[in-house]
Amino acid sequence: MTGRMPREIAPGVFWIGDCLAQRHQGKIYHAYNAAFLVAGETASVLVETGHPKDFPVIERHLSELFARGAPALKYLFVTHQETPHCGGLGRILQRFPEAILCGDVSDYHLAFPHYESRMRWMNEGDAIDLGGRSLMAVEPVIRDLRTTWWGFDTGERVLFPGDGFAYSHYHQDGHCGLVAEEAVSLDLPDVSAVFADLALFWTKFANMDAYCDRLDHLIERLGVKTIAPTHGLPITDLKVTVPKVKEGLKYAAQVPESGTNEKVPVAQQT
Amino acid sequence: MLTQTASVPVRTMPGMEGGIAVLAENKVYALQHPYALDGRVSSYPASARGYSVANSYLLTQSDAAMLIDTGFGKDEPAIRAQIESLIAPGLPLSLFPLRLNEFMSINNVETFAGHFNVEQCYTSNIDAALWFDFGAKADGRSILDAMPVTAVTRSDTIKLGTKGRPIDVMQAPLRLIATRWLYDRTTRTLFSSDMFTHVWRAHRDGPWIVTADDDTTSARELRSFLLNTRYWWLEGAPTAAIRRGIAAVFDQCDVETIAPGYGCILHGRKVVARHVEMLDEVLAGLDKSVAVSRYVARDEER
Repeated sequence: MTGRMPREIAPGVFWIGDCLAQRHQGKIYHAYNAAFLVAGETASVLVETGHPKDFPVIERHLSELFARGAPALKYLFVTHQETPHCGGLGRILQRFPEAILCGDVSDYHLAFPHYESRMRWMNEGDAIDLGGRSLMAVEPVIRDLRTTWWGFDTGERVLFPGDGFAYSHYHQDGHCGLVAEEAVSLDLPDVSAVFADLALFWTKFANMDAYCDRLDHLIERLGVKTIAPTHGLPITDLKVTVPKVKEGLKYAAQVPESGTNEKVPVAQQT
Repeated sequence: MLTQTASVPVRTMPGMEGGIAVLAENKVYALQHPYALDGRVSSYPASARGYSVANSYLLTQSDAAMLIDTGFGKDEPAIRAQIESLIAPGLPLSLFPLRLNEFMSINNVETFAGHFNVEQCYTSNIDAALWFDFGAKADGRSILDAMPVTAVTRSDTIKLGTKGRPIDVMQAPLRLIATRWLYDRTTRTLFSSDMFTHVWRAHRDGPWIVTADDDTTSARELRSFLLNTRYWWLEGAPTAAIRRGIAAVFDQCDVETIAPGYGCILHGRKVVARHVEMLDEVLAGLDKSVAVSRYVARDEER
């Protein structure tokens, strides 16, 4: 938890939400399950909902932003169906009855059937008009579920890559609420490897050079200026940080998989 | 009305969709709820058409029960009624969602924790209660905070009931994220979460259990299913370690039934052996020694 949020990471793009502590190999890491509000001239879109635990924080941050003049929330865009990205979906749609859920809306009609009429399908290149800017569904280079879309703000050229650029950070070093370039002690290979062990198993089996090349291609094609990952810290200087993240991704792919969530065995618990 | 094979009786409840497949009387029940494959289901290929089922499993003893996965929100009233029909009111119930990040596994934890006598929730993550708060109940957070959570390792054994029915816990050797498989020694049933999920049906009434009389899946279909769903990255991967991990599970566990989190249940030694062999064959054919790992675009189907 940090007092730095909501934080404007690009004009009209606000980083909101909270961290989640991750226990791994005897250490405690933090990672974000962030959401972002993109404010246009006539409407706002919420990208991701935050972790299921974070709805009270998300709601408070949104209230602050609307009180400061952000247009009404008309759209919710979630990158994919894993609950750290969409677990607050039901409560967002309940709290904002005018909001429409957009994206690849697979599964949500099974989980929240009473909101099915408020779900809109998006294909690659489809865009949500916010007035003066739009949010577009773009190629999800790093993904796990096949139904992933990444989002792209055409106004400030902010990329919302969901599980892409996923890495933990060090709470004890004061990284919570910092962008990547401010977190000077962040060891990207270390924190990338942690996240790969916990959540991106496949990256240890695929040719990550090919995926990193595709990342470069996408960033260049879209002219991305800022990257707003769900789990990692926002990236505001791509030339400095993206190479480090790719290095971390490739390093993580080489580190032997060490298993998930090692805990005290049942037999030793009281 | 669900139909089923003669060897596995099915119970239905008037006015409710879904059925209870009796895998072992008084021991294991599959609570199966169909959904359409219409391009809107993340766990199946975009092009798949027909129907599948979300499976929750109820393991019962005379003095305790355990529910493996809690199903989608759309099925909550039906699953709750099925559980009520199978266990006595107030019986201690444990929950074990095998995947913490998918609605199919955890959507109804909050509701069931508030309704049944849930004595504990087994999980791979000690902070699991934080993951189940979807706002289904006004007091959901306090219900979840009060729910005892018991962490299990990736290699553990839990005991069900005072007679200590052993349930082995293992880390899934092939997975998307943190996933547990369970093995019930008593009924020789392997609960395989998001693996062995590759059999779906053309019709809403199933049948939802594959037996030796009705086992037509080919290795080519299995390969296509894996590559067109969450295992799209397998082509060109070093699959030897994965194959060893799967082989070790079936070497150590005498499996008569594979009970996946969704899709048809694979029942009988002959069926189990055939699907395990097919999977191994497919994984061998995808190994980096014979295939190339490359960038795979989102909507590429193979």
